[in-house]
Amino acid sequence: MELVLVQILNGLQYGLLIFLAASGLTLVFGIMGIINLSHGSFYMLGAYLAVTLTSWLGDIFLALAAGIPLAFLFGAAIEWLFIRHLYGRDHLQQVLLTFGLILIFNELQRILWGTRPLSVPIPSYLSGSIRLTEVLSYPVYRLAIAGICVLLALGMMLVIQRTRVGQMIRAGESNREMVEVLGIDTRILFRFVFAAGVALAAAAGIIAAPVETVYPGIGERVLIISFVVVVIGGIGSIKGAFVGALLIGLADAFGKVFLPQFASVVVYALMAAVLVARPGGLFGRA
Amino acid sequence: MLKPPRLSVTILLVLLLAAALVLPFFGGTYAVKFATRVIVIAIMVISLDFLIGITGLVSFGHAMFFGLGAYALYFVSPEAEPANAFIAFPLAILAAAIGAAIIGALAVLTRGFYFIMVTLAFGQMLYSLFHDTRFAGGSDGAYINVKPEFALGSVTILDLGSRTSFYYFCLGALVVSYLLLLWLARSPFGRVLQGIRFNEQRIGALGFNPYVFKLLSFIIAGAVSGLAGALFATIDGYVAPDLFGWRESGVAIMMVVLGGTGTLFGPILGAILYALIEEALKTSSYVGSSIADHWSLALGVILIAAVLAAPRGIAGLFDRAAKPAAAFPPSTPGQTRARRPQRGKELEVESLTRAFDGLIAVDNVTLQFSPNRVHGVIGPNGAGKTTFVNVLAGTLRPTAGRVRLDGEEIGGWSAHAVARRGLGRSYQRTNVFLPFTVRENCLLAAQARHPSPFRLSARKNAAEEAAEIAYALDAVGLAARAEDRATHLSHGEQRQLEIAMLIASGARLLILDEPLGGMGPEETGRVTALLRDLSVDHTVVLIEHDMDAIFRTADTLTVLVEGRVLAHGAPQDIRRDPAVRKAYLGRYADEAPG
Repeated sequence: MELVLVQILNGLQYGLLIFLAASGLTLVFGIMGIINLSHGSFYMLGAYLAVTLTSWLGDIFLALAAGIPLAFLFGAAIEWLFIRHLYGRDHLQQVLLTFGLILIFNELQRILWGTRPLSVPIPSYLSGSIRLTEVLSYPVYRLAIAGICVLLALGMMLVIQRTRVGQMIRAGESNREMVEVLGIDTRILFRFVFAAGVALAAAAGIIAAPVETVYPGIGERVLIISFVVVVIGGIGSIKGAFVGALLIGLADAFGKVFLPQFASVVVYALMAAVLVARPGGLFGRA
Repeated sequence: MLKPPRLSVTILLVLLLAAALVLPFFGGTYAVKFATRVIVIAIMVISLDFLIGITGLVSFGHAMFFGLGAYALYFVSPEAEPANAFIAFPLAILAAAIGAAIIGALAVLTRGFYFIMVTLAFGQMLYSLFHDTRFAGGSDGAYINVKPEFALGSVTILDLGSRTSFYYFCLGALVVSYLLLLWLARSPFGRVLQGIRFNEQRIGALGFNPYVFKLLSFIIAGAVSGLAGALFATIDGYVAPDLFGWRESGVAIMMVVLGGTGTLFGPILGAILYALIEEALKTSSYVGSSIADHWSLALGVILIAAVLAAPRGIAGLFDRAAKPAAAFPPSTPGQTRARRPQRGKELEVESLTRAFDGLIAVDNVTLQFSPNRVHGVIGPNGAGKTTFVNVLAGTLRPTAGRVRLDGEEIGGWSAHAVARRGLGRSYQRTNVFLPFTVRENCLLAAQARHPSPFRLSARKNAAEEAAEIAYALDAVGLAARAEDRATHLSHGEQRQLEIAMLIASGARLLILDEPLGGMGPEETGRVTALLRDLSVDHTVVLIEHDMDAIFRTADTLTVLVEGRVLAHGAPQDIRRDPAVRKAYLGRYADEAPG
């Protein structure tokens, strides 16, 4: 029983983290029509920013506060340098260019941070555990991760529901051509959406850094899981990404306990099942 | 459509082959091993081009079949003696084909972005499976201690442990794979695959089941990739989970695009170029140690530059040198033959309703389209005409009601199943295979008379199909433009091509959605005369805005307003119907010629 409870908590916390990464991916698909393979690199960027910024500023939350705007600017620059050349091009070229970006980012990471696995300290005031039941306790920092993810997700919802930019995003979510017809300056919108997606993925990478090892291939794992989430949820759907991410988080957490050797396969089996039932994803347009 | 390589390319390929044949006499051990690797990768890459460039399926998981082939070879290789290659390689191919059939059955359900992500995810699933479990060495990989040999009984025919004989074997496998894939791509089966790449919807509307064709293409490409994987595992006698990895898949796509997608020979050049670039970047004596240390950074930059600067790859260089085809090659007129009267199909619609989220686009429509007549359907914009057509043709499922074609219930069938029963349709927005020539468009349509995917011989039925195509092109007046690409036709000519495709397809009931759109008065006159003529052996359902034309052409008229049948009858009765005059015809009813 205790094990199940812990796995539910782990699954939700992991799912929320993935949601941050996947939401940017799904928005970039849905609104800009771009498949971005290098999205996982931005999670990696966050993780390594956490290493450097925490060592400078002394605290993971200061690193988060400084890292999000940095990642946002980085995202805007990447959009301006590379991504904007891909609008209207076919999938194949998008796949290739963003694959090229992964090669570049991975190599830059090696140059700047090296290949040695690194770690980030959990702040001392959150290093303890909370007793949930008589025999069960749960690390405070993991709960904090979930809390921050919920806050960021709520913030994103507010932007989407209440602001003019959000209005455009919602219009784009349901009908991309419509945004163009409405005469919205898509150049600015696209740059904002892309940069926001980068910032969210980086934020996930930053707050997760203290509980996982920071190593070179970290972004690719997140990228593939984010793809699975988007396939399950439906391209372009934020709600779908949320549901998909939590499903994946729980499937992964329970898979690790009950089918340890096949834990990673459980996640893909879930994707296959959704594909058979609803090829367009749970909340997909088609 | 894919042509055999032009002369300059053939010469280049023959020269490359000759160079490859003599390489072991001049190159050292390293050169032979390097070339073996490039050749094996080239086999994998042309099979990927068969998927991407021929069928239009961008797979980001093609390395998984490469990995399956490699691991299959490992599993069938005994510990201390050579496996018999006569058994081992076919088993490796079979393993990859089975894997491709299972994964393809799921992945092919999806399109576009989804397909890319799903193939990537499944590739990663296999990677994790072999990486996290211990049954084949896990993350450490596993060794094939003795390389396979071709043996009959106890006689060894070819020992693949010898570097040179293995090299020649791989070269032979590349030549055979290339010729096989080229032949498949140019067969009637491959023509449909090429059609899917440019317009999957139209392929379905012609009566081919796109799912089956795509799945078969996926299996074929997977099987060839599996052969490449087994050969690759033989090079070093070592397999590792990385073979499945998405990085391998990505690099393979890179080679395809570098070389030129959809050409099959281009990716071979791409594989060679990639290997040379990689080798040069890794060699510090060429580029300096700082680049050699971080060669994948340079590779990424080169890749991005190539995508932005030369999206058509190396093969594009050869294409540019081609002479443009003559605009109007001489045609052979006078093939028009008299139509043999034949019964068209009868279409009955009963209480048909189609709703979209509460909006009722087609509302309880009951109609009968009797055989060998031209039936006009008119109505103001938004009356539900196109939705009506889409439900009849299987593009949309009916919400309620029945559709019967010659008494057979077809409501809710898929578009290709409906088409196979002899219902052909054209679209409101021109929907042809734009990169194909006029003749090739009709060829695909004519081929739909035998829509089985297992048609590989172009010769069988060729005479019959050629006659149908010649007849169809002559009937619509496009015979002189048979060799022009559809994209070079005027809008009106593209509409005529759609009709030609319907004639060539052998459909017995034609639904034409605004076939006269974009035509001048002269073309309109000719096409309406043709439609009348077509009713000798077809039933024609005509949706049109050109009132003059439809009143002149149709035997019966149906007026749809807000999804309902407002009136149905002979044109002269419709013209006099007060409700129709009020609701729709207005001024036109008074001025219409009698």
